[in-house]
Amino acid sequence: PRRGRPCSRASAGLALLWLLVCAPGDAGCRLLTVADLFDRVIRHSGRIHSLSTALYEKRFPPRDNELGKPARKCHTSGMLTPNGKEYAQKIPREELTHLILKLLQAWKEPLSHFNQHIEHHQELPDDSLSKAKQISNMVHELKTGVEKVTEKMQSMGIISNSLNGMASSEATGLSISNEANMMSDSDFIHCFRRDSNKVQSYLKILKCRIMPENSC
Amino acid sequence: LFLYFCTSLGQSYPGRPKIIRCRSLEKETFSCWWKPGSDGGLPTNYTLLYSKDSEEKIYECPDYRTSGPNSCYFDKNHTNPWTTYNITVMARNEIGCNSSDPQYVDVTSIVQPDAPMNLSLETKTSASIMHLWAKWSPPPLADVSSNSHVYHYELRLKPEEKEEWETIPVGVQTRYKVNRLQAGVKYVVQVRCMLDLGEWSEWSSKRRIQIPDGKSPPEKPTIIKCRSPEKETFTCWWKPGSDGGLSTNYTLLYSKEGEEQVYECPDYRNAGPNSCYFDKKHTSFWTIYNITVRATNEMGSNISDPHYVDVTYIVQPDPPVNVTLELKKSINRKPYLVLTWFPPPLADVRSGWLTLEYELRLKPEEGEEWETIFVGQQTQYKMFSLNPGKKYIVQIHCKPDHHGSWSEWSSEEYIQIPTDFRVKDMVVWIVVGVLSSLICLIMSWTMVLKGYRMIAFILPPVPGPKIKGIDTHLLETGKSEELLSALGCHGFPPTSDCEELLIEYLEVEDSEDQQLMPSHDNGHPSKNAKIIPKETDSDSGRGSCDSPSLLSEKCRESRALPSTLQTQNVRDVQEDKGGKRSWETQCIASEQKIVLFNDESTKLSTWPTAQLPDNQPPMFAYHNPVDAHKITLSTTNVHVARVLVGNEEKHQSQYPIIETCHDDMEKQRGMENLYSKTDQTTVQVKQNRPNDKPPFLNPKLMDYVEVHKVRQDAEPAVLLKHKENSRKTEKYTVPGTSKEYTKVSTVVDHNILVLMPDSRIQHTSVSQEPAMETSQNLQQSQAEKNMSYCLTLPSKCKRENNGSEYMDPSSFMPSFK
Repeated sequence: PRRGRPCSRASAGLALLWLLVCAPGDAGCRLLTVADLFDRVIRHSGRIHSLSTALYEKRFPPRDNELGKPARKCHTSGMLTPNGKEYAQKIPREELTHLILKLLQAWKEPLSHFNQHIEHHQELPDDSLSKAKQISNMVHELKTGVEKVTEKMQSMGIISNSLNGMASSEATGLSISNEANMMSDSDFIHCFRRDSNKVQSYLKILKCRIMPENSC
Repeated sequence: LFLYFCTSLGQSYPGRPKIIRCRSLEKETFSCWWKPGSDGGLPTNYTLLYSKDSEEKIYECPDYRTSGPNSCYFDKNHTNPWTTYNITVMARNEIGCNSSDPQYVDVTSIVQPDAPMNLSLETKTSASIMHLWAKWSPPPLADVSSNSHVYHYELRLKPEEKEEWETIPVGVQTRYKVNRLQAGVKYVVQVRCMLDLGEWSEWSSKRRIQIPDGKSPPEKPTIIKCRSPEKETFTCWWKPGSDGGLSTNYTLLYSKEGEEQVYECPDYRNAGPNSCYFDKKHTSFWTIYNITVRATNEMGSNISDPHYVDVTYIVQPDPPVNVTLELKKSINRKPYLVLTWFPPPLADVRSGWLTLEYELRLKPEEGEEWETIFVGQQTQYKMFSLNPGKKYIVQIHCKPDHHGSWSEWSSEEYIQIPTDFRVKDMVVWIVVGVLSSLICLIMSWTMVLKGYRMIAFILPPVPGPKIKGIDTHLLETGKSEELLSALGCHGFPPTSDCEELLIEYLEVEDSEDQQLMPSHDNGHPSKNAKIIPKETDSDSGRGSCDSPSLLSEKCRESRALPSTLQTQNVRDVQEDKGGKRSWETQCIASEQKIVLFNDESTKLSTWPTAQLPDNQPPMFAYHNPVDAHKITLSTTNVHVARVLVGNEEKHQSQYPIIETCHDDMEKQRGMENLYSKTDQTTVQVKQNRPNDKPPFLNPKLMDYVEVHKVRQDAEPAVLLKHKENSRKTEKYTVPGTSKEYTKVSTVVDHNILVLMPDSRIQHTSVSQEPAMETSQNLQQSQAEKNMSYCLTLPSKCKRENNGSEYMDPSSFMPSFK
């Protein structure tokens, strides 16, 4: 027993190391459970949402009723996404997962475009730029992370592999991106904030659907 | 009456004036107005004269101006409500004069206030019924300070085109709500007032108001807020504007972002009046709702400003429920508070759809500032470091993560942090304290009862200074003696102590002689020390004085005494023996001293009584040398006297020592010398002290050793001393200088100890052989207790010689008691 202890301790330390070192999607992080991965991506999405909210509130001080501005059309509006809890709970897991990935994918290109754009046009405060860049990176990371979770779930048989076909249908994404590039800055921020919240909510729902016992 | 003042001289005298009215506004002042008659074509003066019913005197009007022309104003000073005034106005011109009819005025009955002021009218609509509100203010007064009057009001109104007034008694209020008005009619309103029993004032000026006919369109309603309590449904509330006097319908309309279609509120009832409830079906997230409220009545409608809502961001949960506070003890018995709570029942946190974060705040009940703690997503929290004995108020609220707003605070929960944890410790300490004090008490009590033994155990008796002159150290060591006395020797009869000590001494002497001899040779007197206490204990049976501990204690005390007497010999001995042994030897020595002392006392039948005075002097002596001297002097006198008597009776031969004693005594009686002597002695002490660094141990040892030495080496020593003695006698003639007789040279005639100054020269007035005899005799007499006279005598002589030295024995004894 005495020998076993250092071993377990070492392995615990190793796991901690993995937790700290492994970025989502890192191939070396095999020890992470699906729940761990979910917690990570949820936290990650939460951070993205916080950043986007900060960006949003900088751009739109609370006193302006910015919501009232008409003709705001997000490029992702065309996507059919669950707009309530019950819907999000009913939709098949695979589809929900696919939706999340689709949303993230839809923002990948517009975000980098947006970054280039605000770099040239100094309309936004300085730290907004850094925030936007950060967001861009994080969205990329998040997408990788969600893909990782998806892989894992698929490998464990939690969700079916039918997702593969859906994920590859990126053709629609291109047109969406073009649409996004036409958006004004404020619309862009507004829309991204909304979608980041969507992603977070879907991830949470997905997690609790898959692992209801896990702090849900 | 007033006619006498007028003389009618012709036809052109003025016409009769007429008093029109007299009036008081507020019972405190009043005015009278008159109407002049014809002036007869000449300028005419008017004079108002009045008299009071209580007196004959006639006064003229005090003030013609205040109330305007042809008037008289009676101010407060001229107004008495209990008086009837008889007032006449007189008109006078060059030709003659004319007077009015007299007017009798009772102030109380002529009170009539001015009309109320500032009447204003307003229509209001409540519950679709129109009211008219009339407001006014009380009449103004000339004297603003007396504004405390209570007026009663009356209001009258009528439609403008009608003749008949409708009069309404109002009471003391200055406003009135008129119901049952005809819509669309213009009304005229007036008010008047009355003060107590006086007359009604004039009606105020007219006010007109158009009552609206109630057919206007409603005002714009306002949407107050929208809120989703659980991120699944939401509700919006609005505030209606005025309804225009008609029943008004409210319609909530909304459209969603990106949709043209306008919907009406699905549920007006669920959330109460003026609200709209959107159930799950009608609630979508990540969509902006454009919400308006339309108020409609017969006359038209009005639409509120649009309200835009994204339900995701209007989530405000209900406060957490089932907040429980529980006190627990940690391992180290410190209490800590465990707070647990549950999310609001509406919130479905298990689905992951809504994640709540919590924040709690707490403060002591009487505190003012809340301490706020962000807890995160967990539903329990442990609080340490709460102040015991305080009552805390705790509240918790929650909010969805990343968006939405905080809920209301949960209801206040109270928790009393108990003090008993600390109290337990306190109790323990108190118990410990009580027990220890009890033990102390018992110990001190037993000390008091059996105290002397104990003290003797702790503080060994100190040998008397008979053999070696005891110096002023006693004075300086006074504190230690006080200590001893404080330790509880008080209650003991001094006699017994002394007797015992005497007995000890006698035996000790014997044993010492035998045992000390070898011990001295070996340089190890420690054996003696052991033996002596045993003997004393067994023999005397009075442990208080005898017990070894007491002896040792006494030794400490006695250290001080002979310090001045120290000699080189003693030091040598001490060095040889080493510290530990020296201590024991000291004890022995001190014991011996005391024994010697006791001998004295036992011999004297009057000792007990005499000792009482003795006891006290030393006590004082250390505080106040002069007093001490006096007291000791008196005591010494007594002793000396007795001793002398004894001596004279038993021994015809008087030695020069004794004589010197006498001399000294008398000198001491002479008194003033004492002071100087004490000074000298103190000086000695100071000089001596640096010499003996282990100050107190040595001297005692010395004493002891010296005595035995003398005895041991009796023959050779005596011879030497003999020669010296002659010098000493010479010295005695100068009493002040010769003070140190620390060694016993011989004992003469059983009774007399011959002392010699140890420091430089030792004198004995007795030859060698007698000394030997006396020493033998001494031993015998010790057994018999007869010899004490001898011992006491020299010791007293010493005292007398030295003054302060004398004190030592006597003062010492009492101190032990």
